[in-house]
Amino acid sequence: MADDVMERDVSVLEKERVAPVETLRRSDEALRLPAVAPPTALPLEPPLVPQVGEQTRAVGLRAQRPDSRNHGLGLTRYIDDIALPGMLFAKIKRAGVASARIVRIDTSKAEAMPGVKAVLVGSEIPVNSFGPSLQDQPLLAAPIVRHAGDGVAAVAAVTEQIAEAAIDAIEVEYEPLPGVYDAIEALKPDSHKVHGGDTNVYASKIIKRGDVEKGFAQAYRIYEGRYYTPGIEHAPMEPFTSIADWDANGRLTVYASIGRITLARCDMSRTLGIPISRIRVIGTVVGGNFGGKNEIRHEPVLALLAKKAGRPVKGRFTRVEEFVASTIRHAFTMDYKTGVTKDGRLIARQVRMVLDGGAYCSFSETTLGKACILSTGPYEIPNSLAEGYVVYTNKTTAGSMRGFGAPQVCFAYESQMDEIARDLGIDPIEIRVRNMFREGSISSTGQVLHSVKVKESLENAVKKFGWEARS
Amino acid sequence: MKRRGRGIASMWYPVGFTVAANPSGAVVKVNEDGTAVVLTGTVETGQGALGVLSQIAAEALGIAPNDIHIVSGDTDTCPMDTGAIASRTTYITGNAIAAAAAEARDTLFEVASQMLGVKTSQLEAKDHKIQVKGFPARSAPIADVALRAHLVNGTPPIGSASWNPPTVPLDPETGQGKPFGTYVYATQIAEIDVDDETGEVEVLRVTASHDCGTAINPMLVEGQIEGGVFMGLGFALQEEILFDKQGRQLNPNLTNYIMPTTLDMPVVESDIVDSYDETGPFGAKAVGEPSLVPTAAAITNAIYDAVGVRITALPATAERVLAAIKAKRAMEQKQIPA
Repeated sequence: MADDVMERDVSVLEKERVAPVETLRRSDEALRLPAVAPPTALPLEPPLVPQVGEQTRAVGLRAQRPDSRNHGLGLTRYIDDIALPGMLFAKIKRAGVASARIVRIDTSKAEAMPGVKAVLVGSEIPVNSFGPSLQDQPLLAAPIVRHAGDGVAAVAAVTEQIAEAAIDAIEVEYEPLPGVYDAIEALKPDSHKVHGGDTNVYASKIIKRGDVEKGFAQAYRIYEGRYYTPGIEHAPMEPFTSIADWDANGRLTVYASIGRITLARCDMSRTLGIPISRIRVIGTVVGGNFGGKNEIRHEPVLALLAKKAGRPVKGRFTRVEEFVASTIRHAFTMDYKTGVTKDGRLIARQVRMVLDGGAYCSFSETTLGKACILSTGPYEIPNSLAEGYVVYTNKTTAGSMRGFGAPQVCFAYESQMDEIARDLGIDPIEIRVRNMFREGSISSTGQVLHSVKVKESLENAVKKFGWEARS
Repeated sequence: MKRRGRGIASMWYPVGFTVAANPSGAVVKVNEDGTAVVLTGTVETGQGALGVLSQIAAEALGIAPNDIHIVSGDTDTCPMDTGAIASRTTYITGNAIAAAAAEARDTLFEVASQMLGVKTSQLEAKDHKIQVKGFPARSAPIADVALRAHLVNGTPPIGSASWNPPTVPLDPETGQGKPFGTYVYATQIAEIDVDDETGEVEVLRVTASHDCGTAINPMLVEGQIEGGVFMGLGFALQEEILFDKQGRQLNPNLTNYIMPTTLDMPVVESDIVDSYDETGPFGAKAVGEPSLVPTAAAITNAIYDAVGVRITALPATAERVLAAIKAKRAMEQKQIPA
């Protein structure tokens, strides 16, 4: 099955011959027929941005968003609505194997195809690495493939279909390498080292407060549990899409649906080897981010294809690429050990977590740091020790995703809190109130907290829900 | 048989990057007619950030949000910004815009102080006027003040500022330090039904109470909470990327990667905690990411409440819940003395 999904769909034109409704609909999509909103008289009356009141305060108003009418009428221009004159379409060939060395790439057949204007492989990229903390990720793998979604070659052609056919015509010969596909496995000394060296651990974190051993010694009871959360996908409605366009002075404009244009510009300057002042990044309205669109992905590849072809180039991920070639949420394995007093006070907590980082670092360091700091939960615990490790595996790269590790540790600490409350026969609301941060509480990193409202949130939720204590 | 359960989970979440600098810059220009243009390097990613930022600028200038036009997402025209990440836009970009707007407003105050014959310190910007504090009748329309600033005084009201939350690096040995400017807090309660013959979980309602500091726009806060509960629901019950033994994804498409649809959405009762953070713009903090954080634990705790099984590996699919129920029954039968 995996082989099937890694391969692209049957050619659209072939399918059209049989042409049931479903394939026709899909061929429309592939032929890039523009979705045109029904005609609207502009400007709209009353004015496009409705009056929300002449009086300030402005803060606290349930004001309509400035973009709400455009969204509602289908008039918002997303990046896929942008087409530049003479624009080409890019496709990236994905490895489909998770761990291998590229022995040979033959692009000659693709280059000979009518309509193909440029072909690019990793060795042609000036600086073929990027990443927000460690620059360990190639734009196109050369020569080592570290996960199945790695790109190995790219093509720009006059239509998306020709580009798709051209990447199929590129022949790549791989020498299989051993791989490691499990985070706990990857910790073992004899495991395959994804980036060489003597360990797959590429970031670790310790957050230590008080003395956990002393805390456990004083505990009335100790609870231990292992919790696991899987890798998940951001699944934004709009997949990664960008357009690269050079002007005659060699200045590059990149349109991208990306949430961090300042960083994107730096990364492009670094990978392309041109000054920042020669790059303009225009962030288009993003059709769903959730953390997945916080770094560049294929933009320098598009820029180089555009340079070769002398025409603007658009690249648009398919849904499959959005899964296999973007980042995902880190899978977490968490061991929680918590010591409590007889009246349900948490006095010691030890947490050890292993994050599956996938093939490259991306935002792993940040995710690990936040997860370790937050692993105590919103509770005052005098003795705590959190240790975290993030490891390379030959799987899809894990990166930033809404919550940066917080949803994972919250699942663990709140599951265990529920277990403790039930075991000690204390109401789950009561046990939380006894332990919660208050104004001026000290966090796991020794920070004095202000504007602490966790108890208020609990009280409000209990009241709104209608939670009644059971006897 | 369907069994009802309820579960609760609380959380804390920081705003902005962990120690690392994550500044935002902003420029605010007051036009000749008293409307204003804001330049920011952040990008609207669908959450309504530009609406929130225009409300912050409007509040600082004493005008309405629809008087503000925001230019964003262009590295040629906009100041540097760390972007739409880490739930930082309202708090950090908002602080930068509030400071830039205050600078532009100071220029208006200089002009108005001559017009009204009072010291600048006695002025405030409110209801489209520059007025004397405590004597709102003694005022000048902001449009007149702005025009005068441009055409008579020759001091166009332009403000620029940047902001970065103050942090203290973490000690590498112990991790002690001040990694974030501030934190937000929340509690969610889920009510669910579990079918103990199929293991299927139906989430009926989620009560979500969130602290976000001042809610600059309560409607958008509620939107974020509902979206977060939706993501948390998928994390709790459905979503998982499956890999084969060679590290390739088995379900990289929306047919086999199951995520919630609107039909799976429970009733969401959202609540905004009364809160004010003095470090945020007009007391605001954040709500973007946190809204999803406690949902999964609230749901799995409710599963325990309903059928007495503890789900320790997500997602709590019907198969997993049913297997846990069966294992529990087998265990209970074993314990009955023969």
